[in-house]
Formats: sequence, structure tokens, C-alpha cells
Amino acid sequence: MNSDLDVPASNLILGFGNPLKGDDGIGIQAVKMLSERDLPPDTKVMEVRAPGWDLATWFEGCSFLIMIDAVRMGKPPGTWQRLDLEDIKLIPPKGYLSLHEASITEGLLLTQSLNILPEKILFYGLEPGSLSAGQSLSPVVQAALPDLIEEILREIWDGKNEPKVYPHN
Amino acid sequence: MAVHKRIEVHHVTRVEGHGNIVLEMADGQLKDCRFEVIEAPRFFEAMLRGRSYLEASHIASRICGICSTGHAITSLQATEKALAVQLSQQTILLRKLALYGEILDSHILHVYMLVAPDFLGVGSVIPMVSTHREVVLRALRMKKLAGDICAAITGRHTHPIAMTVGGFTHFPKIYELEQLYKRIESASSDVDATIELFAALSWPEFARETEYVSLTHPDEYAFISGDIVTSDGSYFRVEDYLSLTNEYIVPYSTAKYTRNNRDSYMVGALARFNNNYDRLTPRARDSASTLGLVSKVTNPYLNSAAQIVEIVHCMDESLRIIRELLERGISFEEPAKVSIEQSEGVGACEVPRGLLIHHYWIGSDGCLTDANCVIPTNQNIANIEADMRELVPQISFKPPESVQMDLEMLVRAYDPCISCSVHVLDLTKTYEE
Repeated sequence: MNSDLDVPASNLILGFGNPLKGDDGIGIQAVKMLSERDLPPDTKVMEVRAPGWDLATWFEGCSFLIMIDAVRMGKPPGTWQRLDLEDIKLIPPKGYLSLHEASITEGLLLTQSLNILPEKILFYGLEPGSLSAGQSLSPVVQAALPDLIEEILREIWDGKNEPKVYPHN
Repeated sequence: MAVHKRIEVHHVTRVEGHGNIVLEMADGQLKDCRFEVIEAPRFFEAMLRGRSYLEASHIASRICGICSTGHAITSLQATEKALAVQLSQQTILLRKLALYGEILDSHILHVYMLVAPDFLGVGSVIPMVSTHREVVLRALRMKKLAGDICAAITGRHTHPIAMTVGGFTHFPKIYELEQLYKRIESASSDVDATIELFAALSWPEFARETEYVSLTHPDEYAFISGDIVTSDGSYFRVEDYLSLTNEYIVPYSTAKYTRNNRDSYMVGALARFNNNYDRLTPRARDSASTLGLVSKVTNPYLNSAAQIVEIVHCMDESLRIIRELLERGISFEEPAKVSIEQSEGVGACEVPRGLLIHHYWIGSDGCLTDANCVIPTNQNIANIEADMRELVPQISFKPPESVQMDLEMLVRAYDPCISCSVHVLDLTKTYEE
């Protein structure tokens, strides 16, 4: 968890959000749960609060990127959906570039312009309920997380079930 | 016929608030010139009240996503002064290294991502990829190194988790420090290329002397300790910061303004450079000379150039500190003891954008009863306006688009931390009648 040092990993899981803003902390909670599960070797899991342009610095050696964030999609809270890169680009970036708010979209655009995007990218958007100040998730959002975690584990294990032990054991 | 020219630049509202530039001229005379900050109150000081002294630095670090380490260290200083905590030399070294990492991260972000596009004729960093790909890759390399320094010492790139009252809860491993040392050494060519790139730029010509305010320390280029000094000759212990800041309000802005000997003063890289030039490392002083900076610098646009000098300084100092840590070895020491009683303390650091102050009052139960935070950008707003008032008559012959660009670049040069970290502004109204 938070192995931010310069150690490339071929699988990278990023959970985005601000855990002080209610359901905006979905991504953070998701990677906390994932980090307690068996993951393939060479997998790095990171909590990401304010990525900005740093996003473009994390993909060296990465071939499979999974991102999890709260996304307003107009669906009932707790609904999650897998989005691809083209979908993410539809999330409107801010009309300006600022220190604080280089968005995920802008960070990914920069990465794509540099032609250093990982080969495979999955973005899981989870519809938030409340984004007001507070450190807990809405019950409906919390309840949706286990299903999302299983989906991500299936993907990262390439369709196979999560093994009880690491493959090399 | 009267010639009336009005330019309003509205910034899109953001979570932290927004800044507008408004200027109005009639018959060649400047009638109005304001930099409005409509910052939504964020109530951090109120949020700190009632919370345990152990939580304060983690809450305070959320004030900013760029200088979270600076806020955390300043917050810890305030708490530690109140609770009579004596820090170990190792803690002091580790905190300095973390702060250098953050200064590097923030300055690299500012000069490359926000300032360079103005000079390289592109709208933002994304189109810069096609025109100056190597520059963007270099910026990202340097930024990653800076972030990794913070992560190695504090556990995270942003919002440090390993720093606590009296010390650390996690320590870098020797091999991590050795790895960082090698990477900082190899970044030397990137630092040289940075100096070369920015030395070739033509900075806007403008000069207005003001009062430059920073920490100062007899033995080092002060970032993390020292007293407050001003170029007009004022000198304060950090505990007496209220005598410096003299906060006041204006009707059109929710941000507080500050002043000392003049109507405004400046904090940040240029102020530190002007006040503490002789304590820069030799290589940093050389870079200043290459960049054309000779203390005392009165052109605010050169704040960005002073940031490059500080990039050189912080790289040099990071190497020195890592060497010292490697020689000493890392000991897994417990945080220093605290003595909880009703008391108060003031912390002060130089964060990327200037002097930051946290002042805490702590009750006998160890919970904060009150807090006061003075942010660098607030201290600079009056000075930005004073610059604009002097600059506008000098550039009023230019077309409105050029005037707007010059003003935007001026605001950007201060590297403001609130939403005025503008890059693209919408010109909503420009007319002559």
C-alpha cells in the first residue's frame, strides 16, 4: 500500500478520492479493501488524493492500470460501471488548468499525448450518494463495494478466481 | 470623446474559491484595479478546535494539496512549541528533507507546467508535448523524484502520514536513502537543462520595489526555522507575527490582506532570495547569476526565476542531508515526550509560496481551543494589486489582449495557491466607448 517509491509494477491499481468528503472516498476505501486481498505479484496499489500531473509519472513499467473513483453518472447511488478511456475523456475537464485541479482526465490526456499509457486500462466509476463533509460512506455505496472488489479481482487475475495462496507458493 | 477601457477577467469558481482581475481606465487614467479573491471560507481553524493535538497536523495538511507537507510541519511546530517538545537531530533532518522535497515538487510544477507554456507559445502543458516533448518529460522526471523524496520520508507523496508530534512513526530505509541520493545526483543534468531553458527566456520587464518578507537564519537559507526579517529592516520572532501581518479586509474580497511598513509586502521565493541570498549553496548562487538575478531583484515576474534558484539549492541541500543521515544511520526512535498543559505555540515555515504561520492554543486536555493560520498567498494579494496599479499605466498602450496576458502572467508569477493559480482565463468584457 502506498508504495510510492520508484519501483515499477506491471499491475497498478489507483483508488482516487477525498475520504473527508463522504462518498468521494469510494476509491480510497476500495483500494484499502483490495490491499487486504491476495493480488498477483508485481501489483502496486495506491491511494490517490490529488493526482494532478503526477499521474503521468506513475506508469513506467505498467502494462495494466485499474482506476477506481466516484463518478456522477446520473445513476442510483452505489451503481458502478466499467468505463474505458474514451468514456473517461467524456468527463469534462475543467475549463482551465490549475495547480490544484489538474483532473484525472487532464492527467490521462497528458499521459496519452506522451504515448506512455499502459496497454490495458480499466476505470471503475461508482455513483456517489452524499459528497458532503464526513468520513463515512453512505450505506448503499458501502454495500456496493464488495461486488466491485470481486469484479476487480477477477480482472486482475485475468478471469481466474482469486487463489487462496500466491501462485509461486 | 472619453475613452473608457475596462477589462474584467473572471475566474471560474472552484472549490477553494476564485480570483478575478478587474481594471478600468478612463482618459488614460487608471480608475480601478483590483485582484479580487472570492475565496469560500473553509473553516479549517474552526475544524481544528476541539481536536486532539495528535490530529492537528493531519487536519491542517488538508488545507493544501500542494504544500501539505509544509502545513503539516508548521502545524507540528506550533503544537510542539505549545507542549514543550524537544526534537532529536534526526527528526529535524528528516523534516527538512521532506520540506525540500515539497519545495522541489511545487516549484517544478509551477515553472514547467504553469509558467513555461506562456514563454514557449503554447496554451498549456498538453500541447507542449508536441512542441517540447523532452521538456515535459524532464519536468515529469524531476517532479517524480521530488514526490518520491516526500514519500520516502513521510509515507506519501501528498498529505504526509509518517510525521507526528515529536518525531516520526516510520523511517526511511538505508537503501531508500541511497537510492534517492543516486537519483538526485543523476538529476544534475536535468537541473542544468532547467537553468539553461529558463535563462534563455525573456522575462517581462517591470520593476517595483516592495517590502520583502521571509524567515531568516544565520546558518542556513531559512525554510524550516528562524526569525522573520523584512527588507525594510523589521525583525520579529515568529511568536510576534501579528506585528508583521496587520491583517485587514477590503469590501471586494473575502481573503484577508496584510501590510507592514508599506501598503503591501511580498513573500515567496523572490523575498527569500532577496533576504537570504548569501546563504544559498554556491551552485544555486551560480544559477542565479546565469538566470540574470542579482540581489536585490524588484521584478515580480522573476519570482519564477528565483524558484529555479531554489530548485538548485534544495537539490544540493537534499544531497547534504541524505549524506548526513547515511553517516549517522537511521535510528528507530520513539517520538519525543510531550508535556500537556494549557498553553499556546506558533510554528513558522517557508513553504513554496512564502511564509506560513500556524498558531495554536491547546487546553489542559490536549485538545485545541483555538487556531490561527496565516497563508502565504493572502500576504501577497495586496502586493499583486500594487504591482498591477503600477504596471497597467506602463502597458496601457497595448491591445487589451496583451494587457490581459501581462496581468495574468504577473498573477501567475506569484504562484498563488488559491484559485488564482490561473492558466486560462475568460475575458468576459473588454470595450471602448
